[in-house]
Amino acid sequence: MRGRIIPSLALVCLLPLTAWAQQPAGQAPVEDAAARRQQAWEARLAEQNPLAVGAALDAQGRVWLARVQERRLRVSHSADGGGSFSAPVAVTPQPEAVTADGENRPRLAIGADGTVHVSWTQGLAKPMSAHIRYARSTDGGKTFSTPMILNDDRQIVSHRFDALAVDGKGGVAVTWLDARSRSGRTANKSPQTDVGLYAARSADGGATFGPNRRVAEHSCQCCRTALAWSAQGPLAFWRHVFGRNIRDFAIAALDGGPVLRVTDDEWEIDGCPHHGGGIAADGRGNLHIVWFTNGEKRKGIYYRRIAQTDFSKTDARLDMSAPLALGDAARQAGHPAVAASGDRVLLAWREFDGRRFSVWAMLSQDAGANWGAPQKLAEAAQQADYALPLVDARQALVVWNAAAEGLRVLAVAKP
Amino acid sequence: MMRAWLFALALLGTTAAAAGQLQPFTDDSLPAIQKRLAGRPFILTLWSLTCHHCAKELQTLGRLARSDRTLPLVIVSTDTPAEARQIRAALQRFGLAHVDTWVFADAVPERLRYAIDPSWRGELPRSYLFDAAHRRVAHSGLINEAQLRDWLKRQRAGG
Repeated sequence: MRGRIIPSLALVCLLPLTAWAQQPAGQAPVEDAAARRQQAWEARLAEQNPLAVGAALDAQGRVWLARVQERRLRVSHSADGGGSFSAPVAVTPQPEAVTADGENRPRLAIGADGTVHVSWTQGLAKPMSAHIRYARSTDGGKTFSTPMILNDDRQIVSHRFDALAVDGKGGVAVTWLDARSRSGRTANKSPQTDVGLYAARSADGGATFGPNRRVAEHSCQCCRTALAWSAQGPLAFWRHVFGRNIRDFAIAALDGGPVLRVTDDEWEIDGCPHHGGGIAADGRGNLHIVWFTNGEKRKGIYYRRIAQTDFSKTDARLDMSAPLALGDAARQAGHPAVAASGDRVLLAWREFDGRRFSVWAMLSQDAGANWGAPQKLAEAAQQADYALPLVDARQALVVWNAAAEGLRVLAVAKP
Repeated sequence: MMRAWLFALALLGTTAAAAGQLQPFTDDSLPAIQKRLAGRPFILTLWSLTCHHCAKELQTLGRLARSDRTLPLVIVSTDTPAEARQIRAALQRFGLAHVDTWVFADAVPERLRYAIDPSWRGELPRSYLFDAAHRRVAHSGLINEAQLRDWLKRQRAGG
């Protein structure tokens, strides 16, 4: 059990997307460093059963799960709130390096018609290089389509940290961080300049995707991206680089619109947080965001609500609640996530007291205006994944995978 | 995997007694280091093989170490003992093989991060400047070489 997590230990800071190429040519460390990175990357690719999983609810309230086992991405579902799961079905016909290490995890979304959509990041042999992959099932998860590669440049560079959202009416959106614009010319400049947020869209339920679109330039390199499908179409949420090196969060509408800054923590760091955020849209059109920061103005994990706004407008006026601190900073509250359905909003995060991990959740029944008390749902004695909240009108659940205790689906009590 | 890791750890444990060798960093290592360096200022730097900024950080520290053989440096890799060979090679390459070097040795690295500093969230590179009284200042991200040299000068002037 312990051995399983070891490769991920090496990857506490996965910040370089194409990094070693940035070193000035002719300096001795370059080759050696490249070899070292190659070895660390290969150790990670060889990981058979990583901890990071993906989860989603369908319209019937069934829990769907995507996880990597024996280098295959497998999907199963549970009709009893996670008590028992169906036999897992392989999405990847051949073993491949599905990255599942915390910020990178398989993503699942179930359309109203029952179509099961899956996206993931496939690590390639060259360090930090990867493709964004997608497959779907139109027969209730019995079989999956042949996986396709969504990044249409097909370059062996970093395309990672995918997020997935569907509208239930045939719309499918996938975003990721992409280093395709990095070139010999830009590589010698600031390492922050040439990674961006890219998107692929489908209007036919994932049968085909249109050309990739660059949503934003100049993003942070190694924090997960997030997507929510609102009344205005899909909205992306990610850690951006503002100014020279301020790593705060942004929202942009994939249908077109500006990059809008939605956190003002003023976190300036020549390093890698590897700690992103989440977004969800409720039934009233509000957005709910959660994020981590270690900025000048605030440190820790936070929640805020953003009232419905026209995100296509450059002068969009953002009506945002004050950041609400979550969890116990002394216990390293981190890796927050959010889910919403109708008026119900569920937040979940992880804490660590120096010895053990614990998972926490907080539920609102009125679209984020009032919150129940934080609830501690479980502990883990060894390594643990992030918490994944799932909510609908009847259930509030947190999926949590842990090395010693295995995968648990935990019920959140009503406030 | 587990066996390989434990084997690497055991190997490290038995061979790391001498200064200048990679030692397993556990949750009681920092107090031991501070005890050994009581009354002396020192720099603690945390890095990883997979961290691009960390390579730059090690280059800076290597440059400092070359110009000052008495630089009080403690360098801790957050990789695993299984990667000891690559870690040693990197330290060698950056001219840091002779300093006090360590590697995280716990299946849950968060435990070690917490033992060093509960307010450190794992971002790298991470450094701590300890003065002679071992009051420390933390820094996340690349450290500025001029500021580091200035700090060193002040520590030495202040005794």
